[in-house]
Formats: sequence, structure tokens, C-alpha cells
Amino acid sequence: MKKIFFIFLFFVISFKNAYSLIKVDITRGNLDPLPIAISPLHVDSKSEKLSLFDTDKLGEEISKVIEQNFRSTGLFNPLKKDSFVQKPDIAHLKPRFEDWRLIKAQALITGKVLIKNKKLKVEFRLWDTIASKEMIALSFTTTPPNWRRVAHIISDKVYERLTGESGYFDTRIIYVSETGPKDRRIKKLGLMDQDGYNVKYLTLGNELVLTPRFNPANQLITYMSYFKNMPRVYLLDIETGIQEVVGSFPGMTFAPRFSPDGKKIIMSFAKDGNSDIYTMDLKTRIVEKITNHPSIDTSPSYSPDGKFICFNSDRSGIQQIYVMRSDGTQVKRITFGTGLYGTPVWSPRGDLIAFTKVRKGRFYIGVMRTDGTGERLLTENFYQEAPSWSPNGRVLVFYRETKSGTKGEGFSAKLWSIDITGYNERQIKTETDASDPSWSSLLSK
Amino acid sequence: MRFNKALRSLFIVLFSTLIISACSTAKKAADPLKNDVYTGTETVEYLANGVPDRVFFATNKFNLTTAARDTLRKQATWLRKNKKITVTIEGHADERGTREYNLALGERRANSAKDYLMTYGVSGKRLSVISYGKERPVNPASSPLAWSQNRRSVTVKAN
Amino acid sequence: MSRSLFFSFFLHAFFICLTALTLPFMLRNPIDLPPIVSVEFIEIRDETNIPYAPKARKIIEKVKKEKERVVSEQAPPADIAKEKPDRISMPEDKKEKQELKKKKQNPEEIKPQIRQVSEFEKKELFDPNQIAALIDKAKEEQAETQRKNEKLTQSNVKNSFAKGLSLSEEDALRAQIFGCWSVPLGLPFDEELLVRIKLKLKPDGTILKSEILDHARMNTPGQSFYRVLAESALRAIRICQPLKVPPTGYERWKNLQLNFDPTEMLKG
Repeated sequence: MKKIFFIFLFFVISFKNAYSLIKVDITRGNLDPLPIAISPLHVDSKSEKLSLFDTDKLGEEISKVIEQNFRSTGLFNPLKKDSFVQKPDIAHLKPRFEDWRLIKAQALITGKVLIKNKKLKVEFRLWDTIASKEMIALSFTTTPPNWRRVAHIISDKVYERLTGESGYFDTRIIYVSETGPKDRRIKKLGLMDQDGYNVKYLTLGNELVLTPRFNPANQLITYMSYFKNMPRVYLLDIETGIQEVVGSFPGMTFAPRFSPDGKKIIMSFAKDGNSDIYTMDLKTRIVEKITNHPSIDTSPSYSPDGKFICFNSDRSGIQQIYVMRSDGTQVKRITFGTGLYGTPVWSPRGDLIAFTKVRKGRFYIGVMRTDGTGERLLTENFYQEAPSWSPNGRVLVFYRETKSGTKGEGFSAKLWSIDITGYNERQIKTETDASDPSWSSLLSK
Repeated sequence: MRFNKALRSLFIVLFSTLIISACSTAKKAADPLKNDVYTGTETVEYLANGVPDRVFFATNKFNLTTAARDTLRKQATWLRKNKKITVTIEGHADERGTREYNLALGERRANSAKDYLMTYGVSGKRLSVISYGKERPVNPASSPLAWSQNRRSVTVKAN
Repeated sequence: MSRSLFFSFFLHAFFICLTALTLPFMLRNPIDLPPIVSVEFIEIRDETNIPYAPKARKIIEKVKKEKERVVSEQAPPADIAKEKPDRISMPEDKKEKQELKKKKQNPEEIKPQIRQVSEFEKKELFDPNQIAALIDKAKEEQAETQRKNEKLTQSNVKNSFAKGLSLSEEDALRAQIFGCWSVPLGLPFDEELLVRIKLKLKPDGTILKSEILDHARMNTPGQSFYRVLAESALRAIRICQPLKVPPTGYERWKNLQLNFDPTEMLKG
């Protein structure tokens, strides 16, 4: 009796069951660095020899630059070259994906280098080893000394293809190079590739230079100098080396930046104990006063669309961050936390403002939304300040100083970078002490 | 006998009271900061006999203390006597702030001193102002004492 | 009289001075407080709250245990689709445990159900009313679930996917893909980030065919992040082969749709 009953039930129910499509929601993945294989580029045997460097090693050197770029992001895991089975020339023509999958590579970069007629031609391919297909195939022609830039451009293209974000490798950083005792520092403007190579000094160190910033067009720099003991904002053309003072202000001008279209300089002007924010049009030389308040107003920074300015003011009694329209109207305070806030800098993506915060004797670098909410402190230290954004709005470069003893011994200033997630904090190597870093936009657009 | 005992206790009490007060005075002498403003004489130079060249400030502040006003009055007197001298007033800040704000703060401090000198009859034309922010500390150490010595406005002979 | 007064005065003065001016040795050292460690209390529940009748729960729990054993052994069934539901033999207690360990789409697995019922019988008088109650219209859902749990594992699978029970095959599959899916960083926070991939699977869990349902979006200008996201999802699935599918019930899960959505991850 029971048996029949259950058999009956079973039939009923099993026919009732529709074989519907099963759907499973995958809402979590991992943030492990993506394993990527960067094969040394194959150097075409027809290549001319150069006196500059060993052309045979060029393919390997290019891959090393790419590898270092990816390693520094914390998002990729470049695999060790000694595990690579395929030779560079064959890999570039037709990779055996099983070989690369064996070492767990999910992406593969291969390429070819040819030097002909004193020109450098580099070809590269990005492969998806899991799907067994080609993702990018591009080639570049340039002069041989520019080989590092080719490696950086390749890195940018691959980074963009694999993350959906534009890269930041073909960029430069301008900073202040420091030497000497703490109470008599010698400061020069230094310019280098974002990976620390190709360092160039733009001033001699005879006068104090501070806070250099890039123009979006990249060949102009603005900074503050104590030339002839008159602290003023200057412009410097990297290509020609020509410097000129900005405007003729009867007092100290400082904290300069460019507007996003590169046409104006925005800065502070201090007179009779009061600092206000001014702009000057580089072509017409017309000066406009933007803030009008007895408080200290400084560190202005434009939003990427040029419509807003965030700045530092102590009008509430203590340093806080404010946002206003670019004509100076609708000033709104956005920071209300304990401690003081300084050096606000608008992200090139427009979504965040980075800042320095000082609280209970500790210095923090943080980011917040442009309305002041969502404050996130990324790193804490005895002393650090002045974050500057990478052009893709994902990485911040800033500087840190150490404590010094009674005679100033033990003092050092170094550049550091950190991802906006708070991860991957690392020091940027500079040959001297360094401070006041500023990141350029992508050199190739 | 009872008198001796009493005398002994008296001495113990007096002695300990003196010791206590001595201890407390010793502590005070070691601390040259008053309300976060440096009150000592290390690092101070003199424009002339009895005329200190600098005044000190509290953290993030630019207002003048009584001691500062006293110093500036002496400077004003000296400047009125030596009418040919022009000076530059340098404003400085300690390293515990952001660089750009410190430039503005130094300028404010220098102007505080300049304004005060002007109220005591020194012509503004003889007083120029420059801020060094935190760039030129007088004491390179990283300590509250060093920082208090660096928060200063210094009057420097210009000619 | 005056002497004691004298004494008293000085003793009082002494103590007043002592309390007014602190002696160095009397200063207490600041207490070194350990840093505050925040502890989050997370409630761990190993079952979702399914409103089964109490007796049904017992049965279900028992079957769950058997089922888990079967699922965790993971090897694909030797032969497929030979359901002979009419072959219901009376259980033999010895054989049962062995048979359960075998991963076969064997109608013998009806045995557990019968076994339960016999235990049921032992403990309580078999009451046809109870069964009736279980399949009562009002509690039809519960009954169906119970029945399914007691039957072949394939129906267990279907049931778990349909109901989303915790600690089910669905979670096992999700956990497997979690390990394989490298979420690309740099995805915009404010865009729709759902990638639906339809899969045709082989019985061993490998992929026969895959299809991205929102294919057109991959090539839309301004949505380049979508292509990156979709590719990362495909890569994850391919790397994860063979997928953690149940050893039985191929017909039920051979068509699978995976919905990748990293929005939750990005927010956190």
C-alpha cells in the first residue's frame, strides 16, 4: 500500500518538474593579481647595430620595463621568465597556448623589434591564453633613444585592455629634489619618468623652489620660486627652458596650478596677512580675484570640467576644505571631521578629492567624494602630505618626511605612491631626497 | 623634652615644604613653553642691546602674546631712534603643517609684527615682509621645543 | 594647649602643601592602554529558515547528511539516464550505506526515503494522516520539498537551485568560481555591471558551448569596461573547468546560466 502510494507520488512529482534553466548568481570574485607572461621581445636579426646601446638586448630590456610597470601596479603578477617554454620569435608568430597555460598565465605579451634606417620599429601582441586568441596587435615607430617610451605605451595599451581603465605608464613626474642640512635645504626642480628613469634637473638650486605642477599639455610647468628673495609663481617651458614670472603681484604668490584647459593659472596671493585665490589668463594676462575673505585661502584645484574649484581655507577657524564655482560663488564647506584638512586635489576622473589630514599629531593621506562624504584615510605617518593624482585617477603620489634628531640628523624626504583602495603603498626611488611631486597626464594622447 | 619634640616636627614640616616648593620650581624652569608659545632666550639674537630680534607664536596662531608685544615695543623704539634703518620681517612656521598653508601662515605672522610696529610709529615704508613657511627652521629637530622655536617672526636689518 | 594647636596647624599646612604641589615621585605613570580591537559579532547560521513542519525537518536533516556525502565525492556518474523508477526494492540495512556511497543515478537511492519511513514507523505509528497532512494543499510546498529530499539526488539538486538553500551545490559552484574569477579593477561604480553567460555543459562539468547574453553591449562605444568584465567572466569559467556540478541529474543542470555581477564587491 505504501509502496504504491509513493510510486504514484513520485510519478506525479517527477512529471511536474520542468527542466527550467538553472541560474546561479556570481557576485564575488577574487582580487588576486592577474598572472601575465611578458615574453622578451624578439630582435630581428636584420636590425642595424647602434652605438647607443646593445641592440641585441633591446627586446629583453623593453620587456623588463613592461614587467616592472605591471609589478608596480599590484594588480598583475608578471611570471618568471625562466619558466617560459617558447622562444620569443616563435611565440610572437603563433604561441602554443597550452605551454603558456601550463605556467598559469592568463595573458601573454609577445613582440618584435627592428632597427632600420636609424628608426626603431616595435610590434607587439597581447594574447588571451585561456580563450586562445589574440587581443591586441599594434606597432610603433620612433627613434631608438625613445625605446623606454615604447615600453610604457605598450604597458598602457595592455593595462587598458585588461582592466578597462586607461593606463598611467607613459607619464612623467615633476618634483623638488632636496639636498643639504635640514635648516638650509638646497632645492631644485627634478623631472623623471614615472618609473624613476631619465632624471633631469631644471633649475640650479640657487634659490628655493616649491610645489611644481604640470600643465595638461605637458610642456609647461608652474612652480613657486624665491628668485631674488621674492617668492613668486613662475612658468617654465620644459622644451625651451625659458622661465617667466606670472603677473606682477605686489606680494607673495604661491600654490599655483593650471586650469584643465591649460589656459589659466590659479594661485594664492598674500598681502597684509591675508591670502586670497586669484586666476590669470596666460594669453590675455587678465587677473581675476576669486575669493574675497579675511581668512587664508590657498591650495586651489580645479575639477576636470573646469566648473568647480576645491580649496583650503581657515575661515571656520581651522584649515578645512571648501568647494566653490569657478567664478568664486557658492562657497561650500565639505570637511567637518576632527583635525585639520589641507592640500585638496581634484581627481582627473572628477569623482574624488584627495587631501592631507592632520589629527592628534599624525598625518594622513585620504580621499573623499566631492561633496565631502565617504572620507577614507589611506595611510598614516609621522609626516606626509601633498597627494597628486595619476592621470587615470587610481593612484596617488605624495611625499613623506622622517623625524630628525637634535642636529637635524636622520632627516629624509621621499616620494611614495598608493592605490586609492589603500593597497600597494610603495616608495618611488629618487637619487636625492624628494618632495612636492606632481604627476603629468599621459604623454601620448 | 616636649619642646624638642615639637621643634623637631616643625623642622620636618618646614623642611619638606621647602623641598616640595623647590621641586616644583625646578620643573618650571625646564619648560620654556607657556601656552604653546616659546618663552626662552635660546635662538634669540639682538638688534641692539636689549632689543630681541624675534617674537614667537602658538601652533597655527598668529596673535601676539604680551611678551611679543613687549619685544616689538622695544624694536619700535629702536627703529624710531635709528630712522635710516629699514628692516625685513620674516615669518616662519613649524614643520607640523602643510607646506602651502604654512607659507600663508608665515606671512600672517610677519604682518602681525609689522602692524604692531606701525602702531608704534614706524613707517610702513621701512618694513617689508617675507614668509618662509616651514622652509628655514632655526632648530632642525623634530620636537615640541624645536617647533616652538621655529614658530617665529624675525626682524632683520635690510640695510 | 597652644603647643598642640601649633602642631595641628603645621601638620595641616604640611598636608595641604603636599596635595597642592605634587612631588615628582608621586606622579603616576600614564597607563599604557592596549589599542582597542574591534570585534564584530557575526551570526553563523548553517541553515536558512525554511518553515518546515518539525517532523519534516528531522527527515530533511537526515537526508541532507546523506546527500552531502554523495555530493562531496564529486565523480561523474558512470552511466547516465537510466531511470527505472519502478525498481523499488525493500531496503536491506547493510547494503544501504554502501549504496549511498556509490555515485550512481540509481533508483535504489529511493531507499533512504523508505528507510526513513521505516524508522518513522519504528518510532511512531505510521499515520496515513500525517502523510496526508504533508501533502495537504496548504502545506503542499513543504511536502513537495520533503518528498524531493527523500528521492533521487537529482531532485535534491533541482530543489536546491530552485530554493537557494545554503550549503548546497549552488554555493559549492559559487565558491569554485570565486577562486577563478579575477575581478578587473577599474570598473565604474555607477554602471550596470551584469554579465549573463549561458553554458551548455558536458556531464563531467566541462563546457560544450558558452554564450554571452548581452553580446551587443561588448562593442558599444563608451562601454569598453563591459567587454573587459565579460572577458574576465569567460576566463573564470574556462579556468574553472571542470565545474563543480552535481554527480547526478545531468538533464537538470546541463543548461546553466551564470550571472556575474561585481557591484557588491565594488561597493565594499
